Amino acid sequence: MTASTILPARQRPTTGRLILYSVTSVLLVFLVAPILVVFPLSLSSGELLVLPTPGYSWRWYADFFSSQRWLLATYNSFVVGILTTLIATSLGTLGAIGLYLGRFRGKAFVLALLSLPMVTPVIVTAIALYFSLSAVGLGSTLTGLVLAHTVLSVPYVLLTVLASLQSFDPNLLRASASLGANPIQSFYRVVLPLITPSVATGALFAFATSFDELIVALFIASPDQFTLPRQMYAGIREFLSPTIASAAVLIILLSVLLLMVNETIRKRAARHTLPSTHRTP
Amino acid sequence: MMSRRNLLAAALIAPLLLLVLVSFIVPLGATLYRAVDDAEIPTILPQTTALLKQWDGKGLPSEQTYQSLIAELREAQEQQKAGPVLNRLNFEETGLRSMLLQGLRASSRFTGSTKEGLIALNPRWADPHFWGLVKRSTGPWTPLYFLRSVDLKLGPDGAVVPTAEEEAVFVKLFVRTFEISLVVTLICAVLAYPVAYTLSILPQVWTNIGIMLVLIPFWTSILVRTTAWFIILQREGPINALLVSLHLVDQPVTMIFTRFAVYLAMVHVLLPFAILPLYSVMKGIKPDYMRAAASLGAPGWRRFLRIYLPLTMPGVAAGALMVFMLSVGFYITPALVGGSGDQMISYFIAFFTNTSVNWGIAAALAALLMGMTGILVAIAWLLVPGFRAGGVRV
Amino acid sequence: MMKSKLFVSTLTSLLLACALPSLASARDLMVVGFGGGFQDNARKHLFQGYATEKGVKVTDDVYNGEMAKLYSMVKSGDITFDVIMVEAPEMVRACEDGVLEKLDWSLINKDKFIPGGSSTCGAGAVGWGVSLFYDQARTPQGPANYADLWNVQKFPGKRSLRSGAKMTMEIALMADGVAMADVYKVLATPEGQKRAFAKLDELKPHIVWWKSGAQPLQLVGSGEVAYAVGYVGRTIKATEGGAKYPVQWNTLLFSFDYWSVVRNSPNKAEAMKLVNFMTDEKPLMNLAQDWAVSPATASVANNPDVIKKNPGMVASHSKEGLFISTDFWVENGADLEAKFNAWVAK
Repeated sequence: MTASTILPARQRPTTGRLILYSVTSVLLVFLVAPILVVFPLSLSSGELLVLPTPGYSWRWYADFFSSQRWLLATYNSFVVGILTTLIATSLGTLGAIGLYLGRFRGKAFVLALLSLPMVTPVIVTAIALYFSLSAVGLGSTLTGLVLAHTVLSVPYVLLTVLASLQSFDPNLLRASASLGANPIQSFYRVVLPLITPSVATGALFAFATSFDELIVALFIASPDQFTLPRQMYAGIREFLSPTIASAAVLIILLSVLLLMVNETIRKRAARHTLPSTHRTP
Repeated sequence: MMSRRNLLAAALIAPLLLLVLVSFIVPLGATLYRAVDDAEIPTILPQTTALLKQWDGKGLPSEQTYQSLIAELREAQEQQKAGPVLNRLNFEETGLRSMLLQGLRASSRFTGSTKEGLIALNPRWADPHFWGLVKRSTGPWTPLYFLRSVDLKLGPDGAVVPTAEEEAVFVKLFVRTFEISLVVTLICAVLAYPVAYTLSILPQVWTNIGIMLVLIPFWTSILVRTTAWFIILQREGPINALLVSLHLVDQPVTMIFTRFAVYLAMVHVLLPFAILPLYSVMKGIKPDYMRAAASLGAPGWRRFLRIYLPLTMPGVAAGALMVFMLSVGFYITPALVGGSGDQMISYFIAFFTNTSVNWGIAAALAALLMGMTGILVAIAWLLVPGFRAGGVRV
Repeated sequence: MMKSKLFVSTLTSLLLACALPSLASARDLMVVGFGGGFQDNARKHLFQGYATEKGVKVTDDVYNGEMAKLYSMVKSGDITFDVIMVEAPEMVRACEDGVLEKLDWSLINKDKFIPGGSSTCGAGAVGWGVSLFYDQARTPQGPANYADLWNVQKFPGKRSLRSGAKMTMEIALMADGVAMADVYKVLATPEGQKRAFAKLDELKPHIVWWKSGAQPLQLVGSGEVAYAVGYVGRTIKATEGGAKYPVQWNTLLFSFDYWSVVRNSPNKAEAMKLVNFMTDEKPLMNLAQDWAVSPATASVANNPDVIKKNPGMVASHSKEGLFISTDFWVENGADLEAKFNAWVAK
């Protein structure tokens, strides 16, 4: 598909179009450039976070990988992220299937209730969880952090999976039922394979949400539960050094990896489901 | 009668619902309750509370009430429990903490009436208004925290009056919070439009690259991006180095710890949230519409205004709403790159929770923030057509 | 297959989640301080000194003086700190509020402290101070006192002060010409407080506020601000490291920090013993070899060798500087901090 098929009046690049392209390019550079800035900084041989760097070295990565604090934070981030992903994905997927299946009044209300954590300002969620988790003795624990992150990320799983469920042709289910499959078998055979890509996307999103999360961690994590963002924040406040930049680079690389995985899943899914989406109006 | 289907549905939803109820709805409710809860004084000073309930509010309470207050406070202090009472009363009116502590210290030397001793020590002990305050604080609920979060308080006669000028700050902060959020939302919507449009008309290869450039920041940690701005905007950072070397400025410009920095970093963080839904809406617009309009002879700008813009409005609305809701709760970005005059309400919720340990007011501010955001979102939901269609994250 | 996988993963995660708190409960003795060079040296000589001598594990961490964590810990009973370093007024208030243990003077020798060095919940740790400093490599001749700091014509550039009422209010009054001896007398009156805020209003557009002790050094080091009021110990350390940030002792404000034990700490007795160890002569003498410490332990504070070796001891400069009144801040802290925060946010 080329530009000309969309807007027929403009057959070739006009001045307007050139302006449009340059504005877009500038904005795309604006989006990406600040992220790129931390790469040279992380390789600085100097002590300060300034550009241009006096020289290049791996010393800040060495510092990251030899620092107890950063390693603990990395470990915590992965433990919390993985547990959050597992719980949020399982509960979110089951809940989405339930909401898809159910024919009861108040479904919209239940859905709104379940997606409430997504629209609540994070700071409000954070203090609510801080008060409650410390009241039940989960204040400075990884369990508390996992619970909090699960609550924050579960709406994404729920909505992603629900959206993909709703795009299915319910006739498929009827067909499978008419062939003698009970509802559970129908789901198992028909629906689950079809929603797997969206479950995977939801899982990635849950992980990314947990891995990114700082505000709740700011309230409920004691130093033993510091995650990478929390440790980075402490670093900015307490010991500003290029180690922060190297941590940032590692986080960016992981995010890009997650993004790539997600894109691959999406592209695959698009290929697989293309026939069915063509069938449904 | 529940069908088998609904039974299964309920069983599938139950664990999720339980999780959200237990670890979100209940904490949220408890927080809202904390904003009106006033159980400290009745719990720690039960006898005084009971005596004050009998006091008619006219004249001064009995000698017994004075004695009971001092005795219960002393006992609380020995058990290291007096703090909440003192803080609660001091929040009602500054200076009560020291007045009570002074009375407590002196009372051990009293030989005669406690009432007279205290009054001799500080005439405020003979002020019915003081006792009115104490009586008002004997729970079980108080509107104090909610009133304070909109710069109001209860006057001596129980009427609602504005707080002293030097303490009135919260209305200003709410206004600032919504102002910053609206400006950021507006900038994001305006900037997202050309980007999303270009991406929707470019050849697929270029679109893919463009989308990647939007998705990379979208997936990158907000803290990482804010940190990047923190470094870039420094006085001796790359932007100033560039400006000076190009002789655009003589002296480095102060950019960090300013409102400008807050806007810049927030727009950077939130722009992808505006671009992505808009892009998916634009991508879904069939070229036929525009072709039809063109064949009817409508000029370009008119086609855009009358057909394309309305068609893309749901995308604009979905993106703007997302940006707005996220902006309202922003804490990290203003805290790192903003100055003291650029902090939003979140900063104060955190301050009262962590530093000043006044959880009542923190809870009240949080409840108000949530309520106001909810109202604004509800208005948008009702006013903007098709908002629901595009509201899913890509 | 997918379903059973989901089930297994849910189960595993729930089991893991249940296992986590029990893993966390067996913890080491935890000391929390304000960080920086002092804590690096305290770790070596005090925390690890105790650990080696008694064969227990001691870990340490950093906080910025925010007391809420302590309050919520004590309220929930989930105590993760044992020994904490607290500023004097905060210590007194936290003691009244019942979030610190009353110290057990049978485990801690009360007689070793300088006058005022011990209190119900606190054992004097170290003296500390803040002073005005700037980078002489950038600014050869900067403000010499607080009145100068307010002179933005003569001394252009941003200034950095601590975000809080304590110290800032005193500095504003001194800049306004109040004599050191009268600062608290003036500040105790509503007019005095108004005067301080009015003076701060003048400088407000030029101030960058800091929260953690590392920030003023970073801000001055990166040229973000021209002048700052920062912790003396850290400034001296930076100067030893090659920076040119001379301490201007006439701008000193100083006080003492205390070691306290968190209420209901599961390691209460051990924590008391650690406090006793950290205020003993021997470990403090070792510490004094590496760090310009100004202890509240009389035998070390008055030791001529220590005084000679550490010209930066705040106690040696107490005549030049202002002692931050504990009584005043216990009394007025909550109120003035709230007013300050309302003011600063406007």
